[in-house]
Amino acid sequence: MEQLFAVKYSYLIPLLPLLGAVAAGFLGARWLKDRAHWAIWITVGGSAALSLALLTGMIRHVPAEVRERAHIESSGAIDAGESLSDSAQMAYAFRVSASKHVYTWLEAGKFKAEVGFFLDPLTAVMLCIVTGIGLLIAIYSKGYMAGERGYFRFFAYVGLFIFAMTVLVMADNFLLLYLGWEGVGLCSYLLIGHDYERPAAREAAKKAFLVNRVGDCGFALGIMLMYVTFGTVSYYGNPRNPVEYGVLIQAATNVSLSPWQQSAAQWIPFLLILGAIGKSAQFPLHVWLPDAMEGPTPVSALIHAATMVTAGVYMIVRCGTLFVGNGPATMTVAAVGVFTALFAATIAMRQFDLKRVFAYSTISQLGYMFAAAGVLAPVPAIFHLLTHAFFKALLFLSCGLVMHATMGELDLRKLSGLKRVLPWTNRLMLVGCMALAGVPFVSAGFFSKDQIIAAAWYQNKLFGLALLVAAFLTAYYTFRVYFRVFQGPTVLPHGAETHGQGDQQHGRREPAVMILPLVVLAVGAILAGYLNWPERQASLGRFLGQSPSLCLSHTLASRYGVDVPPVPFGVEEDPDKKVRDAMNVLHTNMMVASGLIAALGIYVAYLFHRKYRARSEELAMRFPSLNRMLERKYWVDEVYQGAIVEPLRRLGRAFNLADRFVIDGIVRAVSLTPQIGGFALKLTTQRGSLQGYAVLMLLGIAAILLIVLW
Amino acid sequence: MAMSEAVLRQYLAVGAILFAIGLIGFMTRRNLIVLFLSTEVMFQGVAVNFIAFGRYHGSLEGQAFVIFLLVIAAAEAALALGLIVQLFRRRHTLDAESWRELKG
Amino acid sequence: MLAVFPTFAGAPTLAAGAIPPVLVLAMCVVAGVGTVLVLPGRHERSVRKIGGGALLCVFLIFAALLIRQGAMKGAGQVYFWLFAAIAILSAVRVISHDKPVYSALYFLLTVVATAGLFVLLWAEFMAAALVLIYAGAIVATYVFVIMLAQQTGNAGRATEGGDYDRISREPIAACAVGFTLMGLILFVIFDMVSFVGPTKLAKGGEAQGTAQRLGEHLFTSQVVSLEMAAVILAMAVVGAVVIAGRKVAEPAPAREATGDVRDVDPKQVPVYGTDERRTKAYPEK
Repeated sequence: MEQLFAVKYSYLIPLLPLLGAVAAGFLGARWLKDRAHWAIWITVGGSAALSLALLTGMIRHVPAEVRERAHIESSGAIDAGESLSDSAQMAYAFRVSASKHVYTWLEAGKFKAEVGFFLDPLTAVMLCIVTGIGLLIAIYSKGYMAGERGYFRFFAYVGLFIFAMTVLVMADNFLLLYLGWEGVGLCSYLLIGHDYERPAAREAAKKAFLVNRVGDCGFALGIMLMYVTFGTVSYYGNPRNPVEYGVLIQAATNVSLSPWQQSAAQWIPFLLILGAIGKSAQFPLHVWLPDAMEGPTPVSALIHAATMVTAGVYMIVRCGTLFVGNGPATMTVAAVGVFTALFAATIAMRQFDLKRVFAYSTISQLGYMFAAAGVLAPVPAIFHLLTHAFFKALLFLSCGLVMHATMGELDLRKLSGLKRVLPWTNRLMLVGCMALAGVPFVSAGFFSKDQIIAAAWYQNKLFGLALLVAAFLTAYYTFRVYFRVFQGPTVLPHGAETHGQGDQQHGRREPAVMILPLVVLAVGAILAGYLNWPERQASLGRFLGQSPSLCLSHTLASRYGVDVPPVPFGVEEDPDKKVRDAMNVLHTNMMVASGLIAALGIYVAYLFHRKYRARSEELAMRFPSLNRMLERKYWVDEVYQGAIVEPLRRLGRAFNLADRFVIDGIVRAVSLTPQIGGFALKLTTQRGSLQGYAVLMLLGIAAILLIVLW
Repeated sequence: MAMSEAVLRQYLAVGAILFAIGLIGFMTRRNLIVLFLSTEVMFQGVAVNFIAFGRYHGSLEGQAFVIFLLVIAAAEAALALGLIVQLFRRRHTLDAESWRELKG
Repeated sequence: MLAVFPTFAGAPTLAAGAIPPVLVLAMCVVAGVGTVLVLPGRHERSVRKIGGGALLCVFLIFAALLIRQGAMKGAGQVYFWLFAAIAILSAVRVISHDKPVYSALYFLLTVVATAGLFVLLWAEFMAAALVLIYAGAIVATYVFVIMLAQQTGNAGRATEGGDYDRISREPIAACAVGFTLMGLILFVIFDMVSFVGPTKLAKGGEAQGTAQRLGEHLFTSQVVSLEMAAVILAMAVVGAVVIAGRKVAEPAPAREATGDVRDVDPKQVPVYGTDERRTKAYPEK
């Protein structure tokens, strides 16, 4: 594996966007100006190409190993009950991965942190998502941000973000992961506040950063606990040498841990969950994501739909061995995910800002991914991550086109029937909405969501039911938006009718540079579902299952006796035919159920928002308190404001006063002492008369002589 | 005949007393001219000192130095008196306290 | 002429002939008080006389102590005590007299007494030079300047002394400092140091301080200093002529006290030392 071109030059994948960011940032103001996007197009394009090369290289690598696996299996060397520290088994787990050490970053005593990359199927998939969608959004942004101030700054930050995100997914130790984690948080702040002259954008950026910070705090504590417990922060260390095992392997082979290490290791997942909740906007740290819609729409698409918010899910999947066997931890993850999915879906039903609806939709879908990771189904989680990236980016970018056409007006109640004004956007939005709602067979969302619901149902019927209800709500609110905005009589905000015709700032309404990436995304949204069709040999799940994270987690799970259907781990189908049939029946039932629910949701939305708009409004008015609760997002923001923000502000003001009067007062008093002393001296000794000075001089001499002689 | 140490001490005492008296006069009197007169008294004390030591050690160095002392004293007196005249012309008073520009 | 007296061992402790420091301190204090009283101030004449009396007593006691030590015996010592007493008492009168002219005259007396001391120390030429230069030239100059520096319309001022003459400036502080220093020096002289013995015996015996010997010495081993002294004298002459020859502008009337800064025409600023108003102190372009 190490001989692959993509692996040897894998350091270019983060480096190129960084160079692009530097070029755009430093040269963009004076020299590149309107051409700043080229720096990002070229470099992110290069990264995407390399990621693709990595992916294909890995895929080609797999069949050889699968054959070898069959050979190993037949030779009976692998047994579920065998200890994982057996070197053959360990080598087997790491067969499709490569470690690349770049340089030693920190060394302090025994603590050592390196800059190194760990490339395995999970990384390759994430890299392709990040760089691919990043490239498409960069292309789109040229059209969207054209003519804005700070054009080059936007692209520089996007490049920086791609750098940080690639570092995050490619890191081979938790410290580097944390670097990328913080980096994407920073870039989120920078990009949300891109139009920093607007107070709303500034506040939203600060809110995003601070709420993220709360989660990051937990994450950092988790990393520290990891170091204290396991003595290293590397993921896998040196898998061939038991002395140098990394964190995840040590957690997996935890028979060799001391009792206190084992009990400490029980707490690490909870701290990591805190970090993931912050980054992936789950309840209760979800409050930043809707406000983050103040940023430009490409930012919402890239960061808050496709990539940054998925870092939490990636981290949980990567640290599978830490979570497996820790019942409370996985239960927490699943519960948080399910609750958030339902919670956000209910809020989205009653939001009127187009982007806000999709923001809550993102939160809800992330809840799905969390739920999947929590019920020990990492492959559906990543699969949903992939499909969600496609259709959510598609939806957000379409919103961007709508925004351009309506001159910034996004209120559902003021728009209608835009399909005549924006034909292409209409079609693309329809594809996206279908994917989000999970329309059977023509959308990727159907497959991925269905697998998650199936896995959840298998583990816990209540979770499965809740996810089904959320799916219904998802379909409803998605098509509520679609039917409101694109169907029905055409109502445009005042002044937007002639916008875009002729020599306006954006020229045409649907420029090619913005439509083409959306078309690519739409194609992906439709076809990506077939990547993980069950029972296919070369499916995504099978590929992901080659990753040591999933491999080790599965072995650990089976050793703990946790009942996990093997497919969600990318492992071979169960050899027992009865089990296989049962699973197939479950899957088929689930597909039918979710298809029906999606259709029901769409129909309800059609009724309320296309056919009988006025009557649905009256119906809604009959439940005013419910409406208000949903519109006010359950008052979560207000609770935070009152319980945390205001007291902190007051405390800050008190400290400010203390600083100004007490501390500065002390400093001023201290500085006043020599002043007063000097003034006193001046009054007494500096009288200006020669003889007085002579007296003082001689006094000094007398004093010195006295001291010396006595 | 050599001078004994006790005798030397007596002469030195006289010189010291003269010097101290001149010092006190310098610090005390406000009249510019008496001020400089007190410095001349100090010169006397120093001269006595030098000559006494010269006699004690039996060399002429002490007397040679006193010659130079006289030279300096004379030069200083001349210049000082010239300056006093100019200062008097400015303020029309010989009060040393009237020159307080360095105050503060 | 001078008897040989016991030399001290030189230890900085209370050797046989040393004056105890406590006594020195006490004498200094008394003398200090006396000096404060004797200096010109707003006391009555009787107080000043008391102060003078106190000083006299102290000096007598000091002399008695020294004589008791057996430092000097014999007839030749009378001259030492005579000249020393005259010198010191005259010096006290210099600093304590009201009128400047009398101060100058008492200074003259001091110089003469010092010259006498020089003679006792075998420095005849120096004694003569002292009298010549000081008494002849310097004191005369001082008296001339005292005469010059009188306020117009007050002819008797020089003999009378102005208000500033009658009040001395911080006498207590000055005397304290002065007597502290004097006490320290005396303490050092009498109690702390032992002098290295005479480095070489006087050559040629009695005729040590003659003009010929001094001249020879000066012109052979101190030539450079001698020449430099001559140059200094020349410079002083030139300097004195320059300083005294400058004309000083009269202090400006109340114009500067009341007028605005902008009223002063920069071209009218007088050059220091001249009456010429038009000339500026620095060249103009």
